Amino acid sequence: MTLKRSFFLSHIRSTVSFHRRRCCGYHVRYAPEPQDVEISRLLTTYAAHPPHPITLSSLVAFGQPLTPKSLLQSVSYVLSEIPRRLARRARALQTLPFIVGTNPYMAKTLKAYQDSFQFLATYSPVTTLEENARFTAELSQLVESHRNDIPTMAKGFQECAKYMSPAQISNFLDGAIRNRISVRLIAEQHIALSRVLEAQSELGPTSHYGIVDMACSPAAVIKMCGEFVSELCEATLGAAPTIVIDGHPDTTFAYVPVHLEYILTEVLKNAFRATVEHHYKQFGSTSTKPIPPVTVTISPPPSPYSPFLSFRVRDQGGGVSPSNMARIFSYAFTTAGHSSPDDDVGGGPYAAQHVGGSAAVGEGTSRGEGNLFGEITSKGLQVGLGTIAGLGYGLPMSRLYARYFGGSLDLFSLDGWGSDVFVKLRSVDQAGNAEI
Amino acid sequence: MQRATCSSSPGDVRRSVTTALHFYQNRQLDLYASKQAHRLSLRQLVFFGRHMNEERLIKSANYVRTELPVRIAHRIRDLQALPYVIVTQPDVAKVYELYWSAFEKFRRFPPITNLSDNSKFCDFLETLLDEHAPVIPSLSLGLSLCSPLLPPESLDSFMNRMLISRISRRVLAEHHLALSMSLGRDSLNSEDPHVGIISTALDVKRSIVKCAYLLRSRPHGIENDNGKVIPNRGWPEVVVEGQLDTKFAYIREHLEYILFELLKNAMRATGLKHWHDTTLPPIYVTVVAGKDDVGIRLSDQGGGLSSNSIQSPSDLFSFSHTRNATRIDKRRIRALRRASSKGVKATVAEQVVEEDGHNARDPERGAGIAPHQRMGLGLPMSNIFATYFGGSLQLVSLDGWGTDAYLQLPKLGTNLEGIEV
Repeated sequence: MTLKRSFFLSHIRSTVSFHRRRCCGYHVRYAPEPQDVEISRLLTTYAAHPPHPITLSSLVAFGQPLTPKSLLQSVSYVLSEIPRRLARRARALQTLPFIVGTNPYMAKTLKAYQDSFQFLATYSPVTTLEENARFTAELSQLVESHRNDIPTMAKGFQECAKYMSPAQISNFLDGAIRNRISVRLIAEQHIALSRVLEAQSELGPTSHYGIVDMACSPAAVIKMCGEFVSELCEATLGAAPTIVIDGHPDTTFAYVPVHLEYILTEVLKNAFRATVEHHYKQFGSTSTKPIPPVTVTISPPPSPYSPFLSFRVRDQGGGVSPSNMARIFSYAFTTAGHSSPDDDVGGGPYAAQHVGGSAAVGEGTSRGEGNLFGEITSKGLQVGLGTIAGLGYGLPMSRLYARYFGGSLDLFSLDGWGSDVFVKLRSVDQAGNAEI
Repeated sequence: MQRATCSSSPGDVRRSVTTALHFYQNRQLDLYASKQAHRLSLRQLVFFGRHMNEERLIKSANYVRTELPVRIAHRIRDLQALPYVIVTQPDVAKVYELYWSAFEKFRRFPPITNLSDNSKFCDFLETLLDEHAPVIPSLSLGLSLCSPLLPPESLDSFMNRMLISRISRRVLAEHHLALSMSLGRDSLNSEDPHVGIISTALDVKRSIVKCAYLLRSRPHGIENDNGKVIPNRGWPEVVVEGQLDTKFAYIREHLEYILFELLKNAMRATGLKHWHDTTLPPIYVTVVAGKDDVGIRLSDQGGGLSSNSIQSPSDLFSFSHTRNATRIDKRRIRALRRASSKGVKATVAEQVVEEDGHNARDPERGAGIAPHQRMGLGLPMSNIFATYFGGSLQLVSLDGWGTDAYLQLPKLGTNLEGIEV
């Protein structure tokens, strides 16, 4: 039936176009093909039911205790909740203005969501551990395939800048990123629990409950991210500052380490790059003067009523000028909005950069160097942490991550000297009611 | 003029007669209040002050003489617009009456035609400035007590208008007094070059060091949150870093007040938090000069600002008890009441005393800071001073560790056009 219809239509079209070409010689514009009817109906059903607001504590509960039965409960949860969320994302994309939807980057993203949705929504129920093992591997690949969603959409939005307001785009991206965080949380929690069950006899007692670490040590994460960022910085700029950790370095709290890693990596990248560039600007790149360190001060939750762990990343990277302060949390597309790399935002190290790897590396450095850093970071981080890095999303995304469980991220600047980034993260054992 | 007809005591009769008179005689006020305030840009003030001679001084005197009553009239109208029950509250009423008296006196002051007239005018200004010293604590006290009667935004916006206007009037008056004093003297080539009250090369580090020194010379003893004075072993050091030779054009009194109050808070918090420790972590003050402004960051390890009384550090600038519960704290109220008889001018100088406890005649040589109870005025006044010329003050807390205060002040030498007094 469908085949006949489309054949009929295309026959009509080609007849019409043939006729027109013969008569008038101009091109006809075709609207894109609509989606497959079956999937469309399934998507509508799923999108109509809002996702169950799950709390982090219940997600963690699948692992307390972790048994084959609880793992299978977890997988059935995954199979019902993730499609719902993907359907809502797909729906959101479909409701963007038509002209935006025809942009190839947006269309590509929509297709990716639709495909993943279809895969999960039509997956046969998982009833054995074997089936789960297979499913988990496939789920892993699925999550991986969505790695570039945000940069792709951002590129699309950049090209569509004249069809939507910066506020609309910003809101959309905020929603997309939050949704992505949720989906990954649910998926990765399940994947982690599956692995733990498999290896349960080998692992001793652990403070980890899937992806939640009840005794996450910020100092340890800082050291790890610091080493990584340091190598990157040395490789591209030739030098890197040291990190000094003070405050209460022994503090631990309950959190999702991968979120903390993301936030720290982005914030440290900014701090390191600003410090080195500012140092070079003042003293030249061959100076032997010591590069000022980046100081991270850790402060434990002051009371049970305020279950926030705070830390402050302080650098001497020259700070952010007052005119740029308004822009540092906006997504790349909101500045200039041109795809030409000649549009120098000129906002210094923290300014939003253009999508596509061209980094606005202060005044005076050649475009080539800037691009190199951007490309390398994106390639280097492709392995571990995604390609978003190096594209100017570090701050707005870090802030979204920090706010995800009710925390906050703020930046204060001493223009001409350096910046302080204050991060407050809510311990997730206290906020077990944090909805995902 | 109506007479009270119901039976009442003579005092009541007089009062109701007076208030009726008050109502009908408001016409004078309406006249002045309907005039626009004639603002001068700071550039004009400075330029005017640089080329001072007798004729210009007289002009300046008459400008002050005619401008101030207009601004006072506006504030009286603001007070008259407040709910009746608030202005009849004794402390607010006192402020209202002070404003009226100032208005009447200015209105009646004859035009100034020569230096001798100016001298009388300067004496008049000085007396008035002193008379009005109780305004800040009385208004603060009265409004805090009336806080339940006004929504927080109205209360804060009223207080801010009053205090900002007060600063503007004082700046004009004190600038004129300073110009009068330096007539004939080359004030730009002195050790402390200035034009009126604007220092043209204010040394930031020097001001920080001076405030730190005054505060650290205080006797040891901190009032804790329960009002008890606990002995401390000393005061923390203040380490200044950054661009140490930063100098800019600003009003010294304003800068030093803000620094003084912020350092005072930082020292108290540090002392309380580390009471049990053998050494006190220092307070770091970083100074940076930008193109158009100066940035100063004070960083302490006093434990931060999280408390049950406020939701965010900016609540500390509010006069409303709904945003800052300490406004109706009994101790604060008592301290404000005590201060409202002597007055609070919001300067460092008034806090410096001689050995015998009396106000130092020369604050530069006073013996030290008089102990006083906490009134809760330091932060809101600092915020108003900081924002007055378009700067900013932000407090950020690293809960459990310490507080960072970011002060940004515009250089008064540049961009003077947009700044009006």
